[in-house]
Amino acid sequence: MTIKLIGISKSTATLSVIVCLNELGLPYQLEAPANFAVDTKTEDYLANKHPFGKVPVLIDGDFKINESRAICRYLASKYQGKHTNTILIPKDVHQAGLVEQFTSYESFYYDPPVSKIVYQEVIYKFHGKESDPEIVKQACEDLSKVLDVYEKLLEGKEYLNGEYSLADLLHYPFTYYAYSYANRSDLWDKRPNVKKWWERLRNRDAWKKSLEDIKS
Amino acid sequence: MTIKLIGYPISTPTLRVVICLKELGIPYEFEPPASFQALKDKDYIANKHAFGKIPVLLDGDYVINESRAICRYLVSKYQGKYNDTILIPSDVHKAGLVEQFISYESCYYDSPVSKIIGQEVFAKKFRGKDPDPEIIKQGREDLSKVLDVYEKLLEGKEYLIGEFSLADIFHCPCTNLAYGIAAHSDLWDNRPNVKNWWNNLRNRDCIKKSFEEVKN
Repeated sequence: MTIKLIGISKSTATLSVIVCLNELGLPYQLEAPANFAVDTKTEDYLANKHPFGKVPVLIDGDFKINESRAICRYLASKYQGKHTNTILIPKDVHQAGLVEQFTSYESFYYDPPVSKIVYQEVIYKFHGKESDPEIVKQACEDLSKVLDVYEKLLEGKEYLNGEYSLADLLHYPFTYYAYSYANRSDLWDKRPNVKKWWERLRNRDAWKKSLEDIKS
Repeated sequence: MTIKLIGYPISTPTLRVVICLKELGIPYEFEPPASFQALKDKDYIANKHAFGKIPVLLDGDYVINESRAICRYLVSKYQGKYNDTILIPSDVHKAGLVEQFISYESCYYDSPVSKIIGQEVFAKKFRGKDPDPEIIKQGREDLSKVLDVYEKLLEGKEYLIGEFSLADIFHCPCTNLAYGIAAHSDLWDNRPNVKNWWNNLRNRDCIKKSFEEVKN
C-alpha cells in the first residue's frame, strides 16, 4: 500500500518529509486538506490525525505518525537502504549520535533565526502583511553567528557529519525559502564552506525531485 | 573508563541526561564546568561544544553534546546492558510514536513551561530581574491549551505511549521546576490524567534521585 502523506506544498515541515521519502526512494501520495485552515481544526482531524491540528501526518498502512522529524526518523529506521543506498542515520552508534547532535543544532540554533527571516520576508509578504525590519535585522545577526559556527564545523567536510545524513536534510526547507525567496543568499554565499555545502545540497537528485513534487 | 557528564544539575538539558543515565543504570561522573565563562573559552568551543553550551558527554574518546542527542546515543549503546529499562522500543512503529511525543515536547510543551520557569526560577537568579507577570500569564494560558491535549492523549495510559519511554523523560526537567512552584502545580493537578502521569514520573526512583540533585 502506498504511503500517504497529509500535508501542503508550502509547509516547510511537509517538505522535509517529501525530501526524506525521495532520498529513501519511497513512492507516496500527497493529500492536501481541501481547506487547510478549517480542515486541520475539526474534531475528527484533532482526534484522528494530529491532536495539535498540524501537518504533516504520514499514514503507512495501518500506522499513523505525525511531526516531521519523528516521521523522518521512522522512515529511516524502517526503509533506509531498502530502495536506495542513502543512509540517513548511520548504523554505527557513535556516528548516529553525531548526526543526532547536528539535528539538534538545526532545531535549536539554526532554525529559530532562519524561520524568523522566512516568516517575516516570505510568508507575511505572501499574505500581504508588512515585515518588521527590527525582527529581520536581529534574526540576520543571530543567523550570522550560527553560520560562523557552521563555517568551522564544515571545514574539510562535504556535509555536517562528513557523509550526507538526516542532519543535512532537515536544513533544506527553511534554507531554501530564506536563500531563494527572502533575498538573503549572501549570508550563506559569503562563507566558502557553507556556500559549498548548500550548493551540494541543492544539487542532490532527491531535492530536485522534491521541488518538482511540490510545484505540481 | 567511566562516562563523564559536564553540566549543572539546575540546567534542564543537563537534568535530561542525568535522568537517562540513571534510568539505564549507567555509571557516570558528574563534572560541573569551572564557571559559566569557561563555556565561552576557545578550547571549550573547539573541543566540547561549538555553541558554548552544556551538557557535554565524554564516553572514552567520544564527545557528544546536545541533551536529546546524548540521550538517544546512550539508549542506542547501553539500553538493556545494565538493567531492563527500555527507553526506545525496538519495534519501529512504537519507536516512531516515542519520537512523535518527543517532538510534542520540543515543539508545543517546552515553550510555555519555559516561559513560566524563565520568569519564576531564572529571572532573578541569572538576570537580576523580577518575574514578569505578563509573560507568566501568557505561559499559563498557552500551557493550559497544551495540557488539555495531553489530558486526552493520556486517557487510559500511564505514560505517553503507554509504557515508560524517553519521551516521558524529556518532559521531566522543566516540569519539575514549574510544578515545584506552588502557584503553578494546579496546571497539572487539575487534569486527572495529566496528574496521574506526572505522579507516576516524579515517583520513579531514578527520577526522584535526579530531582534531589537539583535541590542540592
